[in-house]
Amino acid sequence: MTRILSLILQLGAAFELCAQATVPGAGFDEYQVKAAFLYNFAKFVEWPPGTFASPSDPIGICIAGVNPFGSMLDTMVQGKKMGERVFLVRRMPDTQEAKGCQILFIGGTEWKTVHALLDALKGAAILTVGETEDFTAAGGMIAFQLAGPRVRIQIDLETAEHSRLKISSKLLSLAQIVKRQP
Amino acid sequence: MSKSLASRWVILVFTGAIAATTSAQTPPARDLTEFSLEDLMNIHVTSVSKKEQKLAKTGAAIFVITQEDIRRSGSTNIPDLLRMVPGVDVARVDHSNWAVSIRGFNSVYANKVLVLIDGRSVYHPAFSGVLWFAQDVPLEDIERIEVIRGPGGTVWGANAMNGVINIIMKSAQATPGGLLTAGGGTNQQGEGLLQYGGTAGVSGDYRIFSRYSHQGKSDPVDADQPADARGLGQVGFRSDWRLSARDLLTVQGEYRRVDGGETLSGVLPQTLSAMGTYTQPIGDDGGNILARWTHTLVNGSDVSLQAYFDKSDTFAAGAHDFTSIGNIDFQHHLSFGSRNDVVWGLSYRGAANRFSGNNVVTLHPVDRTDSLYSAFVQDEITLTKTLSLTVGAKFEHNAYTGYENEPSAQLVWAANSRNTVWVSAAKAIRQPSPIDNGLEIVSALVPLPQGALGLVTVFGNPNTKVEELRDFEAGYRAQVNRRLSVDVTSFLSFYRNLETTEPQTPFFALTPGPPHLVIPLLFENLANARNYGAEAFANWNVTDRWKLSPGLTLLDMSVTRDASSQDAVIEQLPGYAPRRSFQVRSFVDLGRTFEWDQTIGYTGPLAVGNIPGYVRLDTRVGWRMGEFTEVSIVGQNLLRPRHAEFPDSQLIDYMLDQRSIFGKLTWRF
Repeated sequence: MTRILSLILQLGAAFELCAQATVPGAGFDEYQVKAAFLYNFAKFVEWPPGTFASPSDPIGICIAGVNPFGSMLDTMVQGKKMGERVFLVRRMPDTQEAKGCQILFIGGTEWKTVHALLDALKGAAILTVGETEDFTAAGGMIAFQLAGPRVRIQIDLETAEHSRLKISSKLLSLAQIVKRQP
Repeated sequence: MSKSLASRWVILVFTGAIAATTSAQTPPARDLTEFSLEDLMNIHVTSVSKKEQKLAKTGAAIFVITQEDIRRSGSTNIPDLLRMVPGVDVARVDHSNWAVSIRGFNSVYANKVLVLIDGRSVYHPAFSGVLWFAQDVPLEDIERIEVIRGPGGTVWGANAMNGVINIIMKSAQATPGGLLTAGGGTNQQGEGLLQYGGTAGVSGDYRIFSRYSHQGKSDPVDADQPADARGLGQVGFRSDWRLSARDLLTVQGEYRRVDGGETLSGVLPQTLSAMGTYTQPIGDDGGNILARWTHTLVNGSDVSLQAYFDKSDTFAAGAHDFTSIGNIDFQHHLSFGSRNDVVWGLSYRGAANRFSGNNVVTLHPVDRTDSLYSAFVQDEITLTKTLSLTVGAKFEHNAYTGYENEPSAQLVWAANSRNTVWVSAAKAIRQPSPIDNGLEIVSALVPLPQGALGLVTVFGNPNTKVEELRDFEAGYRAQVNRRLSVDVTSFLSFYRNLETTEPQTPFFALTPGPPHLVIPLLFENLANARNYGAEAFANWNVTDRWKLSPGLTLLDMSVTRDASSQDAVIEQLPGYAPRRSFQVRSFVDLGRTFEWDQTIGYTGPLAVGNIPGYVRLDTRVGWRMGEFTEVSIVGQNLLRPRHAEFPDSQLIDYMLDQRSIFGKLTWRF
């Protein structure tokens, strides 16, 4: 028992060393990067008039289902402002209630409910961001995709326009634009 | 044993915590919000999301019960939830006992399915099976339940023979704030949950909860019988600490006390001289504490180290079993070249049991401590863009039969993002337990000439073998269009060395009870089985507000004994499983605040005990009163006042699942 235990701990320590040896620079957690993208999207998307009641209304970033960011997203947007607007991060653990959400992130854990959720939000002025494989085909606007160790962005412009969202050309130029099958 | 296990556990947790804290200081905290979009696109990330999406492309028969499924089912316990999973056979025996199995072999002590609650196995080592009356969690805190039908031995090890039920709880981050629920009804007479979740410092989240539930006895007409009312009291906590961007430490624990009961017909334990009906308490008094450290390495691989200690006093079948379990699992997941995705792990489990029986049931020896060592490796090899092959094996050393192995292979063809076809082959085992090895239980009384007494007694066998399964499966999964998804699995399973009870030469005994002739039956492994069947389910979003989820189960079992076997009942095993069952769940959103959900299901008849097939209708109306409050009313078994679901195996007088209504208030604050 003691031998097994020490073996396990030594192995754990060995991997720690291996990892530090192979990649010198510190890597970023996938969700740290995705959180930064979410924050950035607010700068490159224009919501239809009437979305906000006043110029000081906060921008709501909502997370459907399981929150993969931990406290990273909250920490990241804390004290940040877009004009007069602050950011408000909100979890939607059970409900499909999306009032006050301008950006909605639907994580990979929600692959089973993602269709229903997107169907329910069809036409709403909410920027839907996801990471499941067929996210845009399912009716989502922006999909994160992993290309090797990098995060890539896929945008379904038609869905966004249908919801009267304007996505800046800067963001579009960096993304892969998908066309839905007729 | 238990003390030393506990102290080792403590050392381990501290070592883990120190290691985690040390590494937490290494990564620099850079503000990513200052990065441009281009920069963000060029950052190297370590991925964890991939694992989740793999579920859709896994080469196994998997069904996931989501939190939404749980909430809208209106169920108040885990076995009732499992009814929605095709291939899982759930039968209510009485208001304390359940029989739950996958693909046949059902019993109150069904022993071929492994159940995990947040990484902790709840397969009871002494009773050799999952005692469902003792398993309870706040249903609101379940993130999902993954049910894998078919062998899971390569990853999960022995006893994951016919399947694995993996209950995964929400992280503490996902349950902020207060939660109060209160409910009551005709069967589930009262239940309540009080929970609070918050943050601790900048990197920690926690929740604490306490629960109570009371289930009335199944037949309210007779004042005393059956004695199957069940009460539960439970307290617990979970805390998650994001020690760095790459280190997550989870520490959780729970204490529970379950008091149930059962009415049996059998040899009276006090005198051993007559058969009769009697009642006895069943229950569980125990707790556990678990720590899990996950570290994501910068090259995208991750390691996890989990340890738990579980101590309980379980009373069932007239006996107490005092169990202490210490368990350590280490897992490393890495990518190897561009084509290999490898998971390997090591684990150790020590289980100490002290059995305290009565005249009817005892165990030899009453004290025992068993160790289980295991190692596994599994490699997912990307053969082409659409084809992948997963091969793996587990190697285990158990205290009864020594070294065992459980290999498996799965070939998955993801033709495109909408269609997946898979085939698999695997070997799995059920390893012997203290029961198989050293049980002594009086099962019947036989009057002999001249007033003499014969007691049929079942004995465990010190030379017991592992039961083996060789299993072949094929499946197809399709996202037909954005509204319809379909999943079909078929399987062919060959079992070897199934346990039989073989008559031996009778002998006289003076104690316990009056002098009597012992008619012994000895456990041997002299039967084989061939099962085949299919399971199918679909999710169909008929409209934006109406969803239908049908499911179908087909099972054909055939059990044969060896020529040398004299077991008179083993070939009746197929009679404990319905040959077919199907159900349709319907979810309707009425406006923004009302939900109306129903399940209608048919379960086929059981040949043993002449249990007729039955149709269940459950319905739920939910009303969301604003953002924080929800009220629901659930009716179960609405079509008939009562029906039987399982024969009286294990001598328990089966009672009937009855029509019931239940109301619940959920308030978040």
